[in-house]
Amino acid sequence: MKRFLSRLFIPQESNNHRALILQPSFLGLFIAVYLLNQSLLQSLTIARPGILGYSSEITADKVWTLTNQERQSQNLPALQYNSVLSESATAKAKNMFQQNYWAHTSPKGLSPWDFFRQAGYQYSVAGENLAKDFYDTESLIKAWMNSPTHRANIINDKYQEIGIGVVNGVLNGMKTTLVVEHFGTPLDGRVLASTPPSSTVNTVQNFGPVSSIKPINPALISKTLGLIMFLIIIGVLIVDSYITLKNRTSRLTGSSAGHVGFLLIILALLIFSRQGTIF
Amino acid sequence: MMTVFREIKKHPQNFIILFILFIGISVLLFIFRFDSHSQRRIVYFTAGLYLAWSLYHHYRRGDLSLSIFIEYLLLALFALIVVAATL
Repeated sequence: MKRFLSRLFIPQESNNHRALILQPSFLGLFIAVYLLNQSLLQSLTIARPGILGYSSEITADKVWTLTNQERQSQNLPALQYNSVLSESATAKAKNMFQQNYWAHTSPKGLSPWDFFRQAGYQYSVAGENLAKDFYDTESLIKAWMNSPTHRANIINDKYQEIGIGVVNGVLNGMKTTLVVEHFGTPLDGRVLASTPPSSTVNTVQNFGPVSSIKPINPALISKTLGLIMFLIIIGVLIVDSYITLKNRTSRLTGSSAGHVGFLLIILALLIFSRQGTIF
Repeated sequence: MMTVFREIKKHPQNFIILFILFIGISVLLFIFRFDSHSQRRIVYFTAGLYLAWSLYHHYRRGDLSLSIFIEYLLLALFALIVVAATL
């Protein structure tokens, strides 16, 4: 066992002066193990929908507060909370779960504006922001503010009202929280006094009963496994090149410096990649 | 890390090219830090450039062989699979 581990990590005569982990057969094995992990996660989403996903602390109230904070920082008036817009935003989020899609337009061709009309909101201008897989409201607002199109909606001085839908459910076999912001200005120009959003988060179950246990985050599993494998390869590359140069061994292999540089960029991307998706 | 620097000293021109490419890629990844779709496309492009650089580097060194190219190909493929699954 000790000998095998030594051959695995340290270049020596018995492994042709190249750590086994860095040889094509073992790199292929790394790929196979990672793909197997992905297939298992995929199978789990089909066999046990709702086991995988994200748990979230987001509420409509927090989204409204932070959205208005961003507007006030730009010297814009706060958006009044409108319960009709909230209905249209919630209906949009529920529709995405029920028809299993993630887009501004539904597979049946319903646009955001159809949801505004169905809820009975007559607007002169309107807009929609979507988000999913975020754990906390601060990260969600930060992601929207860093996207030019979403930011344009949040700090648009033409909007006077907002409605927010925060709905939990199962999308593509994974538990998640969908957040929908509907912005608008009523056609008749009459803005009603704010009715604060409810702190209750709606839940849609479209794939049978969903277990109440905290879901396992599949992206976190894939990320952690990827990080561990990358760190092992980088570590072995450095040890391998140190021993080879120390022993002045001549061999035909790829450039360790090139490999380390490439893997470090991917490693940094994995470490700093953020939660959630916006649309 | 000293050994990596020693390798760079042997072929500075090749590594300057790689360094510039990696700096450019890092800047692009930072610019698109909130856009995972673009980040994914940048990583695919990086993997392609990395393979092209490997051909150039080993051709100039005079030790280009199929086994070396497969080593680069597998590392690039592994990075692509992890990024596609994570971002």
